[in-house]
Amino acid sequence: MKAPRKDRRFAFLILAVVPLAGCGGGDSANSLAPASHQARDIANLFWWMMGGAWLGLALVVALLFWSWKRRNRRGWGDDVEGDKPGEKRSWYAVVGLGIAMPIVVIATLFVIGDLFVIKTTQAPASTTTRLTVEVIGHQWWWEVRYPGTHAVTANEIHIPVNTPVRVEVETADVIHSFWVPELNRKIDTIPGRKNVVGLDADKVGVYRGLCSEFCGLQHAHMSMLVFVDTPSAFQRWLAHEEQPASRNPITSLASEGEQLFMNGPCSSCHAIRGTDAAGFVGPDLTHVASRTTLAAVTIPNDRENLREWIVNSQHVKPGNQMPNFDLSGHKLDALVAYLDGLK
Amino acid sequence: MAIATPPTRVAAERMERLDEIWQSRPGVLGWLTTTDHKRIGLLYFWTTLVLFGAGGAEALLIRTQLAQPNSHVVSPNTYDELFTMHGITMIFFFIIPMTTGAFGNYLLPLMLGARDMAFPRMNALSYWIFLASAIFIYTSLAIGKAPNAGWFDYVPLASRKYNPGHNIDFYALGIIFNGIASTLTAGQFIVTIFKARAPGMSLNRMPLFCYAFLAASFGLLFALPALTADTIFLFLDRNVGTHFFDVAHGGSALLWQHLFWIFGHPEVYILIVPAFGIATSIIPAFTQRRLVAFPLVAIAELLVVFIGFGVWAHHMYTVGMPTVSMIFFAAATAMVVIPSTIQVFAWCMSFITGFARFRTPLLFIAGFVFMFVTGGLTGIMFVAIPFDQQVTDTYFVVAHFHYIIFGAAVFPIFGGMYYWFPKVTGKLYFERPGQISFWLIFVGTNLLFFPMHIVGLLGMTRRMYTYPSGLGWTAYNLAETIGGFVTLAGILLLLGNLFVSYRRGPPAGPDPWHGPTLEWTTSSPPPEYNYAVVPRVTSAYPNWDPVDRQVDRLNLGDGAFMLDRGHEQPEVTPVDGRFAEIVRMPHESPWPPVLALCLALVFTMLLINRYEVAAVMGLLCLLALVGWHSQEPEGA
Amino acid sequence: MTDYAVPEERIARPAAWWGMWILIASEATLFGVFIGTYFFLRFKTGIWPPNGIPKPALVVPLILLAVLVGTSIPMRLAANAALERRLGATRLFVSIALVVQAGYFAYAVHDFSDQVHRSDITRDAYSSIYYTLLGASHAHVLLGILFNLWLLGKLARGFTTYRVNGAQAIALYWYAVIVITIVVYGTLLSARA
Ligand code: HEA
Ligand code: HEA
Ligand code: HEC
Ligand code: CUA
Ligand SMILES: [Cu+2]
Repeated sequence: MKAPRKDRRFAFLILAVVPLAGCGGGDSANSLAPASHQARDIANLFWWMMGGAWLGLALVVALLFWSWKRRNRRGWGDDVEGDKPGEKRSWYAVVGLGIAMPIVVIATLFVIGDLFVIKTTQAPASTTTRLTVEVIGHQWWWEVRYPGTHAVTANEIHIPVNTPVRVEVETADVIHSFWVPELNRKIDTIPGRKNVVGLDADKVGVYRGLCSEFCGLQHAHMSMLVFVDTPSAFQRWLAHEEQPASRNPITSLASEGEQLFMNGPCSSCHAIRGTDAAGFVGPDLTHVASRTTLAAVTIPNDRENLREWIVNSQHVKPGNQMPNFDLSGHKLDALVAYLDGLK
Repeated sequence: MAIATPPTRVAAERMERLDEIWQSRPGVLGWLTTTDHKRIGLLYFWTTLVLFGAGGAEALLIRTQLAQPNSHVVSPNTYDELFTMHGITMIFFFIIPMTTGAFGNYLLPLMLGARDMAFPRMNALSYWIFLASAIFIYTSLAIGKAPNAGWFDYVPLASRKYNPGHNIDFYALGIIFNGIASTLTAGQFIVTIFKARAPGMSLNRMPLFCYAFLAASFGLLFALPALTADTIFLFLDRNVGTHFFDVAHGGSALLWQHLFWIFGHPEVYILIVPAFGIATSIIPAFTQRRLVAFPLVAIAELLVVFIGFGVWAHHMYTVGMPTVSMIFFAAATAMVVIPSTIQVFAWCMSFITGFARFRTPLLFIAGFVFMFVTGGLTGIMFVAIPFDQQVTDTYFVVAHFHYIIFGAAVFPIFGGMYYWFPKVTGKLYFERPGQISFWLIFVGTNLLFFPMHIVGLLGMTRRMYTYPSGLGWTAYNLAETIGGFVTLAGILLLLGNLFVSYRRGPPAGPDPWHGPTLEWTTSSPPPEYNYAVVPRVTSAYPNWDPVDRQVDRLNLGDGAFMLDRGHEQPEVTPVDGRFAEIVRMPHESPWPPVLALCLALVFTMLLINRYEVAAVMGLLCLLALVGWHSQEPEGA
Repeated sequence: MTDYAVPEERIARPAAWWGMWILIASEATLFGVFIGTYFFLRFKTGIWPPNGIPKPALVVPLILLAVLVGTSIPMRLAANAALERRLGATRLFVSIALVVQAGYFAYAVHDFSDQVHRSDITRDAYSSIYYTLLGASHAHVLLGILFNLWLLGKLARGFTTYRVNGAQAIALYWYAVIVITIVVYGTLLSARA
C-alpha cells in the first residue's frame, strides 16, 4: 500500500516508521490514513503541528546542547552575587522566546484548529443529510438502526460513499464513545442525550471503529466495522437488511434449530424479525450470517466460531452479557445451522 | 555556616540548651509522636517510596500484559483494577505526598529559615491520615475489591447499578480521606510561608522553591473541595440512594465529569509546580548563577495554577458540548501555556549563561526540561479541538501525560533526591552510578512512552486489557514494555546508589554544592532546631551573601538571637517579613496518630454502611481533638 | 538581642487567625461547589422544584436566619472581651451565643426531619441537592457550637495567649458560618422564584 503523497512529505519528521497506509480492509484504525475530508483535515493539522513541535523541541535541545558545550566553563563559584553580564540579553530571550513566540504560534494554531478545521469536522445539522444512522452503545456491542426503515443490525455499519451521513449516538447503559479514526473524530454516548457526528467517506472500503471510552470489562472488545459501499451496493444492502428473516429454513436441521432458538432462552434476549423472537438484550440476529464478525469484531463469523460462541462465549469474551450454554451434538449443530442460514 | 563547633562558651551553652529543648523522644515512640518537620518529611518519603513501588509494580504488570496481543497474563477485571490503582496511586499516593509531603515538609522550613512548620501537630496529623488512607485504599486490592473504573471513575459505570461491589466505595472514601491529608498539608504550608519566614525575608527575597510550594498549596486548597463534593455525591448515590448522577431522576452524568475535572486539571499543575520548585533550586546551585528572570518565574509559578482553574473542560471535548464553550476552554488552555514557556526559557538561559556542571542532579533537570517540552508540545496540540477529539482516550494522551508526569514531575524528584541527599544524610552519593542511573531512566522512559504517541495515532485506545494483532500495534507495545523494564533498572540503580552511599559515602559537610539557599548554611543533617541562630536574610540566595553569614557567625559567638527559652520560633509580617513576635511551638504529641486512627475507623464504618457506629467513631474523633488541645504550648 | 527587637505592639495576625481563614476558604469552596451543583441541576431541569414537591417555605427560614445573624453580636463581644482579657465577660457572651445557637440548631434539626418525612432525599436530584445543602449548613452550625463549648471549657481555667487567639479564631469561624448559611438559604429559596 502506498502512503498518500502528503503523508510521505512529512513522514521523515517522525522518528519511527508509522505504517501510513490505510488498507480499507478493516485491519487498521489509523487516524493518519484518512478516508474522508474530515479525517484528512485533522491528519494534515497533525502533520503541521508535529513539524512545529519538532522545531520547538529542536530549539530547546539546541539551547541545552549549547550549555553543554559551555559546561565546566571557568568562573564556578567566583562571583555568584550580583547580576551576570548579559543579564539583559537573557531577559530579552525569556520574554521573546517565552512570551512573544508562543503567543504567535498558539494564536495561529488556535485560529486554524478551532475556527476552521473545527467547522469541517462538525456534525451535520439534522435534515441536512439524506441518510441518518442511529447507533446505540451497549455493554459491549453496538446496535445500529436506520431510521425510516426496518433495518436493524449490530457492530457493522454500512454507508454509501461520498454521501454525508448523520450518525446519532445514544447509550443503553454507560458512556461509550463512537470512533472511526479513518473517517472522523470521536463522540461520546452520554446517558439521557443524543449526540451527533458526521461521516462522509470518500473511499470505498472497510474501516474499523472502536469504543474509546472505558465502559467496563470488555471495553477492549467493543469494536465495529464501517463498510463504505458504492451507493447502489448500499441500497441493495439496505433493502436486504430491511427484509425479515426468511421463514423457510433451508434444511430440516435448520428448522430444528429454529425451534430450539424460539423455545429456548435465546429468543428472550435476541430479536429475529419475522419470528416471535423479540428480545432486546443482545444484538438483532435477523441477518446475523451476513455479518463478517461476531461479538463486536471479537472473532470472525464462521460456523466454528459460532459454535464456540454459543457454548463458550464467556471464554471468548469474558464477562460479556451472554451466558454460556451447555449445548452439544445434534442440538448445537441444529442451532448453528439455523443461525448460519440467516443471511 | 557549619555550626558543628560552637565558637564561644556562651554559644556552646546555648546550643546545648537548644539540643535539650528540641530533642525528640528516642525510638519508635519518638517517631509516633514527632512533630519535627524533618522527621515527618522522612516518614512521608519512605511511605511514598513504597507506594511508588506499588504503583510501578502495577504499571509493569500492565506492560507485561500488553507486551503481546491477545495475552492472558491478567484477567480483564484484574487489568481494570491495575490501571485504576496505578493512576490513583501515582497521583494521589505518590507525586502529591512525595513533593508536598516529603520534599515540602523537609525543605520548606529550612529554606524559610524556620525551626518548624506553623502548625507542627497538624503536620503530623496530615502524615498519619495520609498513611491511614493509603492502607485503607490498598486494603481493597488485598481483598480483591479494588476500584476498577479508572482514576477519573466516570459515572454511570461507577454507579451501583453497573458496579455493585465495594470497589467504588473504596475509591470514594479513600479519595475523601486522602484529600483531608492534602488539605491539611496545603493549609499549613500557606500559613508557614506567610508567617514563619526568617525576619528579613520579604516575599521578593523568598526562594522560588517556596513560591512553587505556595502555588501548589493554593491549588490544593481550592481544587480539592470539588473532588470532595464529587465523591460525596458518588458515595451518597451509591449508598443512600440519592440521584445526583442519575439521569432518570433529574441528575446528570456530566456533573461528575465537570466536578472531577474542575479538580483534575488544577491537580495536574499541582503535580508539576513543586517539580518546578525543585528545578529552580538545582539550577542555580549547579550553574552558580542566580536564575534568569526571577520575578517572571515567580509570577509564572503562581499564574500557572491560577489559570489552571479555568481549563477543565478540555478533558471533555467529546461529550457533545456547544462549540462556543469548547472554544472558550481551548483559548484558556492556550493561555495556560505561557507561564510554562517563560519558565522553560528562563531555565535554558540560566543553563547557558551560568557555569553549568552536569552532575547527576543537573542531568536530571536537563532531562526534565527535555521531557517537559516534549509533553508540553503534545499538550499544546490538544488546543486544536478537532485533533483532541481525534486522539482523546487513546495512547496519544497516555503518552502526553506520562511524558509530562514522569519526565517533568518524577525526574526532578529523582534529581532532588540526589541534590539533597548530602543534606539529609550527611553523606555524598557516588557520581558515576548516579549518572548511569540517569541515562538508564532517560532512555528507558523515552522508549517506554514515545511509541505511545504512534500507537495512539494508529487507533489504540486507552484501558484496553488486550488488543488484536494485525493493527500494527504489536511492535510498539513490545518496545514500550522493554522501556518499562529499563526504567525499572534505572530506578533500582538510583535507589541502590543512594543506599550504598548512605552506608559508605564520604562525608558531605554542610555545603557540598555551594548551594544558594539557607538549608546549606546549617549542618548536614540539620539539628532538630535547624538553625542555632535565626539567620539573617537580605536576598533570595542567602547562602551566597557572605556578609550575612558573617553576621550569623557573630551572633552565634555572642549567643544572640538563639531563642533558647523553649520551642521558640520567630514569626514575621506576611509581606515584608518584618519581625513580629516570638511564638512557642507545640512539641511531640501522641494525638495526631490517635486522631488519624479514629478517622480511619469512621471511614471503615462508612464503607460497610454502619452509620451509627461511624457516628460513635466520629465522637471519638472529637474526644481526640479535645485531648489534643488540652496540650497547650508551654508558656504561650 | 541585636537588631531583632520584638515590636511592642502586635503588628501581624497570629497564625491561628491565618489557620482559621484557611479552614474557612476550604469550607467556602466546598459550599461553592454544592451551590454550583444546585444551579447546574436546576438549569437542566424544566420545572424546579420538580412536580409534586412543594416550594421551600419562606417565613420560618427567614426567622431562623435572623436569629442566627443575631448571634454574631455576642460572639463579637466575646472576642473583644477576650482581647482585653475580661474573663467573666467573655464567658458570659460565649454562653449567650451558645444558648441561642443551640436553640437554632434544635429547631433546624426538627424542621429538617419534618421535611424529610414529607419528601425523601432519594426522591430525585432536586431533593438530593436540597437536603445535602441544608444538612451541610446545619452541620457547620453544629461545628460552631462545638467550638464554643470547647472554648467555654477552656475558659474555665482562665486565659492564655493560646485561648485568646482561639477565641478570635472561633468568632471568625462563626461569622463564616453565618455567611455560608445566608448563601445556602438564598440558594434554596431561589426555587420560589
Ligand atoms: C503534570 C501534569 C501535567 C501538565 C503539567 C500538563 C500540561 C498541559 N496539558 Fe495535560 N494532562 C495531564 C497532565 C499534565 N498536563 C494528564 C494526567 C492528562 C490526562 C488525564 C487523563 O485523561 O487521565 C492530561 C490531559 C490533557 C488534555 C486532555 C486530553 C484528552 O484527554 O483529550 C489536554 C487538552 O488540552 C492537556 C493539555 C495540556 C497543556 C496545554 C499543558 C501545558 O501546560 C503544557 C505547557 C508546556 C509547554 C508548552 C512546554 C514548553 C515548550 C516550549 C518551551 C517550546 C516552545 C513552545 C511553543 C512555541 C508553544 N492535557
Ligand atoms: C505520577 C504518575 C504516573 C507515573 C510515574 C506513571 C508511570 C508509569 N506508567 Fe502510568 N499512568 C498514570 C500515571 C503515572 N504513570 C495515570 C494517571 C494513568 C491513567 C490511569 C487510568 O486510565 O485510569 C496511567 C496509565 C498508564 C497506562 C495505560 C493503561 C491503560 O490505559 O490501559 C500504562 C500502560 O502502559 C502506564 C504505564 C506506566 C509505566 C510503565 C510507568 C513506569 O514509568 C513506572 C516505573 C516505576 C517503577 C518501575 C517503580 C520503581 C520503584 C521502586 C522500585 C521503588 C521500590 C522501593 C521500595 C519498595 C522502598 N500507565
Ligand atoms: C442473557 C441474554 C442472552 C441470551 C439468553 C442469549 N444471548 Fe446471544 N448475545 C447476548 C448479548 C448481550 C450478546 C452481545 C455480546 C457482546 O458482543 O458483548 C449476544 C451475542 C450473540 C451473538 C453474536 C451476535 C453478533 O452479531 O455479534 C450470537 C450469534 C448469539 N448471541 C446467539 C445466541 C444464541 C444462539 C442464544 C441461545 C442459545 C443466545 N444468543 C442467548 C445476550 C444473550
Ligand atoms: Cu464501550 Cu468502551
Ligand atoms: Cu487538563
